[in-house]
Amino acid sequence: MPGGLYAVILVYSTSHAMRIEKLLAERGIACKMIPVPRQISSDCGVCIRVARDDKEAALAVVASSGIEIQGIAEV
Amino acid sequence: MSMVVDARGLACPQPVIRTRAALQSGDLVTTIVDNVTAQQNVTRMAEKAGCLVRAEVRDDGIYLDIRREGVAAQEASLAAGSAPAGGPLVLTVPSEFMGRGDEVLGQILVRAFFHTLGEVEPLPDTIVFLNGGVKLVVTGSPVLDDLKGLCDRGISILACGTCLGHYGLKDQIAAGEVSNMYTIAETLLGAGKVVSL
Repeated sequence: MPGGLYAVILVYSTSHAMRIEKLLAERGIACKMIPVPRQISSDCGVCIRVARDDKEAALAVVASSGIEIQGIAEV
Repeated sequence: MSMVVDARGLACPQPVIRTRAALQSGDLVTTIVDNVTAQQNVTRMAEKAGCLVRAEVRDDGIYLDIRREGVAAQEASLAAGSAPAGGPLVLTVPSEFMGRGDEVLGQILVRAFFHTLGEVEPLPDTIVFLNGGVKLVVTGSPVLDDLKGLCDRGISILACGTCLGHYGLKDQIAAGEVSNMYTIAETLLGAGKVVSL
């Protein structure tokens, strides 16, 4: 979905969402835990939303944490 | 006929109760209060009852000159038991968590709920925060930005002052306004529908 303002990181559980939120906050990446948008399906009902410009930085943080994510989508 | 209600030194909701009583027997009332919260509560009640309120800050208190515009509809709004059938949609938030069970999950759900509230219809007209729910309207609340957005859209956010006081949070309110049980009871009883979170 080109042109979206945000990217959402889809995860497998709420505890993963909370850990990612904490890691991003520690690194100064603004994020918000939100319900998974209706048009996207996910195993977990919540996801982490970041600004689209922060998508790569956020993914790098997640990758270094070893937390497995289900995917990322632009919204 | 003008009446004076000296409500200085009285605890909430006494200034509202006494002003309301005075308005039922006269069209011109001057209520003197000694704090801004009382000023707001009295003003809100009076304006809802169709009165004009003029405030004057003096050295010895805040003088509220309240003039009632005498029409039948406003008489009715002062009387008890006038709840409209298709009245406002009121949401009550009695806890900082959504649902019972795990509190960590409960806070995730409450955050998800207030985020979603900005995207769905219908929106509530008023949201009343009670007991532990008032922790959501103060500095550091995880839903503060969502609540400010709802305020900007004209939704009235009322936080129970007794509850803020109980948790020691009265000076930390960051969204909405401090309210009292008088206003809260009127809001609930005057609602077309009440949804409790």
